[in-house]
Amino acid sequence: MTSQIIIALLAAAVQSGTPILFATLGEIFTEKSGVLNLGVEGVMILGALAGFVVARQTGNPVLGFFAAGLIGGLAAAIHGVVCLWFQGNQVVSGLALTILGTGLANYLGTAFIGMAAPGFAPVAVPLLSDIPGIGPIFFQHDVLVYVSYLIPPAMWLFFARTRFGLGLRAAGEYPAAATAAGLNVLAYRWLGIVGGGFFMGLGGAYLSLAYTHLWTTNLTGGRGWIAVALVIFAFWRPGRAVFGAYLFGGIMALQLRMQASGTQLSSSILLMLPYALTVIVLVLSSWRKRTSDAPASLGINIAPAE
Amino acid sequence: MFPMRIAKRQEPLGFGGSCFVLLTALGLSLLLSAILLSLGGTSPVRGISVLLQGAFGSRWALEDSVLKAIPIFLCSLGVAVAFRLKIWNIGAEGQFALGAIGATWIALSFPGWPKYLLLPAMIGMAMTCGGLWGLIPALLRQHLKTNEIIVTLMMNYIAILFLDYLVYGVWKDPTSFGFPMTPMFSEQAIVGKIGGTSINWGLAHCVILGLLIWLFFRFTRIGFEIKASGDNVRAALYAGLPYDRLVILVMVMSGALAGWAGFLEASATVNRLQPSIMVGYGYTAIVVAWLARLHPLSIGIAAILLAGLRVGVESLQLDLQVPAAFGGIIEGLILLTVLAGGLFTHYRIAWGVGK
Amino acid sequence: MRVMKALLVLMLAVWASTAGAAEKEMKVGFIYVSPVGDAGYSYSHDVGRQAVEKMEGVATSYVEAVPEGPDSERVMQNMARKDFDIIFATSFGYMDSMVKVAKQFPKIAFLHCSGFKMAENMGNYFGRMYQPRYLSGMVAGAMTKSGTIGYVAAFPIPEVIRGINAFTLGVRSVNPKATVRVVWTKTWYDPATEKEAGKSLLDVGADVIAQHQDSPGPQEAAQEKGVYSIGYNSDMAAFAPKAHLTAPVWNWGVYYVKVVEAVKKGTWKPEAAWPGMAEGVVDLAPFGPMVPKELQDKVNAEKAKIIAGQQKIFVGPIKDQSGAVKVADGVVMTDPELLGITWFVEGVVGTTK
Repeated sequence: MTSQIIIALLAAAVQSGTPILFATLGEIFTEKSGVLNLGVEGVMILGALAGFVVARQTGNPVLGFFAAGLIGGLAAAIHGVVCLWFQGNQVVSGLALTILGTGLANYLGTAFIGMAAPGFAPVAVPLLSDIPGIGPIFFQHDVLVYVSYLIPPAMWLFFARTRFGLGLRAAGEYPAAATAAGLNVLAYRWLGIVGGGFFMGLGGAYLSLAYTHLWTTNLTGGRGWIAVALVIFAFWRPGRAVFGAYLFGGIMALQLRMQASGTQLSSSILLMLPYALTVIVLVLSSWRKRTSDAPASLGINIAPAE
Repeated sequence: MFPMRIAKRQEPLGFGGSCFVLLTALGLSLLLSAILLSLGGTSPVRGISVLLQGAFGSRWALEDSVLKAIPIFLCSLGVAVAFRLKIWNIGAEGQFALGAIGATWIALSFPGWPKYLLLPAMIGMAMTCGGLWGLIPALLRQHLKTNEIIVTLMMNYIAILFLDYLVYGVWKDPTSFGFPMTPMFSEQAIVGKIGGTSINWGLAHCVILGLLIWLFFRFTRIGFEIKASGDNVRAALYAGLPYDRLVILVMVMSGALAGWAGFLEASATVNRLQPSIMVGYGYTAIVVAWLARLHPLSIGIAAILLAGLRVGVESLQLDLQVPAAFGGIIEGLILLTVLAGGLFTHYRIAWGVGK
Repeated sequence: MRVMKALLVLMLAVWASTAGAAEKEMKVGFIYVSPVGDAGYSYSHDVGRQAVEKMEGVATSYVEAVPEGPDSERVMQNMARKDFDIIFATSFGYMDSMVKVAKQFPKIAFLHCSGFKMAENMGNYFGRMYQPRYLSGMVAGAMTKSGTIGYVAAFPIPEVIRGINAFTLGVRSVNPKATVRVVWTKTWYDPATEKEAGKSLLDVGADVIAQHQDSPGPQEAAQEKGVYSIGYNSDMAAFAPKAHLTAPVWNWGVYYVKVVEAVKKGTWKPEAAWPGMAEGVVDLAPFGPMVPKELQDKVNAEKAKIIAGQQKIFVGPIKDQSGAVKVADGVVMTDPELLGITWFVEGVVGTTK
């Protein structure tokens, strides 16, 4: 019985970590190009709405999922216009995007509240799902969770092994040197912003198409902000983002289960756990590090060429 | 492509030009909002005029906007101090909560003290608690190299939950029928209103603190060191400036100012501590600080503008039944266009193909 | 910087003009704590507002998503200055603000929902939601096989605690050994978290999930696991047709129309109104097809007793979680006691902290 509860808890950690994971990966992708996008929350909720609406209208959740990515990329492009073309401050632009995105999604989405749309249901992976322990934790979820497993290694490969990935990182680390070497830094930053927005949109769609199958205002519930924090927690590494997202999701799931099991601890104190433990784990894992892992030019705009 | 390019100005855009750019940006965002309004079936002209009147169009409206701007201003003043050193304190929300908690603690413990003693004690405790909440991420950053963005953000959640814990538990008013709120503060613990207005004396606090911060950066050595270190950390370290101590100082100042805002909100506007005082002023403060380019007077004006916008949107709801979400759209649009318009301070659009 | 100064001048210039003329209709204003689109608590009040809007010679308006605290004071003043005749504030946190504003505008009728303060021109009101909650508890208690029922709840305030207690009394009236496990989410409206809370209760063996939340997240959790659920606010059957047994629901229109009529006729007096099933302000949603006919009859019989005033629900002996008798045999809890209840009855697993 106890092991069953632990397995259920870990499976819940994976599922509640997944929307945060998508968004965190998106923000890593953007920040690697040297752009700080604090609009994750706004991009996510627009993605959640787009995914839901398209899935509803076409009857096809897969289309909805991709539409969420596209709308996410488009929404993030607003940040690109303001920061890359107009040299706007990245912090304000991102915060403004959160305000705008949340407002737009709530305004446009009112008509869809309380409606039903097709979504993703759990599908066990043959063979893998039968492995004791591992199977129920990782391989009895919906398809989107499996998709989320593929992104971190793919992103790692992209950054480490491909020309585009190296160019993107160069745009975030040494834009001046990269320009001198003939790279189009601005184009790489566009790639970072729009590509990152794509993943954030997917994170939103996970909430409206898989985690729940409904659309409402405030569906993202602040998860975009957690993603911003987890990027730093992950030292800008896609692999560590998985750890961060599952840790956060897991502790959230744990405190709910502690309540369900009848603990006498105050729920206010229990709810502090995910936030406090994230900081504690970060401190433990970063206190020996000598260098900062942040892209060297993060948050700094590139002056237009004369 | 287009025969258009961006060229650097020889000199930054002058006063008249900046006004023109700002007004154009505001006009553009209002135009976009008007289009959206008319798509939603509301008369755009009426909508915009109701919005502006609701924000600044009467004595009441102006008072309301100023009143709402007070906590935003103080939080923003605080984060701006940290931003000068390029320390990314996004924890004003939590520092605000701790300030309110500290002030409440004094107000509940010594309700009988005379006003001239009680209020300063409340302010002192609010600044101490807020400052401590800012000190923790600064120390973690300095000794354990922990990034301050994530720590301040996470500490916001923790602070709000701590506030919840207190008002749902030990501080709950026995006569509140079990609702989460502390007892009402005694008369001496309340910051009063100015004359016949609805604005409290917190406005005076804002003016004095704003002035002090301005003087601090303008005339003191430490203020200069903060600015210099913020502009170029390496040069500052090379010049032997005490960077680490400055980090501690700005975070504590930052937290203390946000804490002061928390004190005012508890004492002057709500007269007690309750969870609903947390409405996100600490996050709004970040937008305001950057929009105003960290200058105290500009922060004041930007705070009133943003507060006015939020007040005006309520009239838009009340008079024209426009959903609350529309306020976010207008606010986002205004911020983005004004931000983009900033380009023209240092650049201009040149027609014709460049060299 | 100078630009900002110029803007300030512009703002002052806008100040010059004044508001338009007032119409001769009676104006009724509502203040909601969340967006009305949420299909939850505020939505149910707004359905009530729409009933008022249909009345002859009455115009209504509302402001949504108003934070409790100083913001609500401003919104009320704004309404009052715009010559609204009646103002309904629908969340507990608006109480202090309303007392202040009511003093400034003695000619306007103020009504505050879910609080306890009154003034010469301010009354308070709420619905006896605990009555249908008790009935829904009976349904849950009869339908559970494991004897464990999960309850996803928002915040430990008296309204929610009272609901959990009534629900548990209902459960135990048909199933004396069953327990109700409570999980607090500390959110009114976060569907994913609330669904996860529902799942956490399923993991510890609950096979009926009830909720005091505005989103249908817990309903989904129950449906996916193939167990039953009890909704809240409005009929949530559409979200979980296979799980949804019934739901305690609001029906504010009846009350709002009555108050507006009274004010129109000049007969309204401030009071502490607490209408219930008899007045039709609260009700039980239609039963799902899985609820057996005998059970439906039993619950309906109890409902008839509540409406007739024979079943008061909070009647002693009532024990608290430690087993100590809190309400002596035959004693009926008073309304003030119910309004301020902060302890759980026996049978609830969880804490009100």
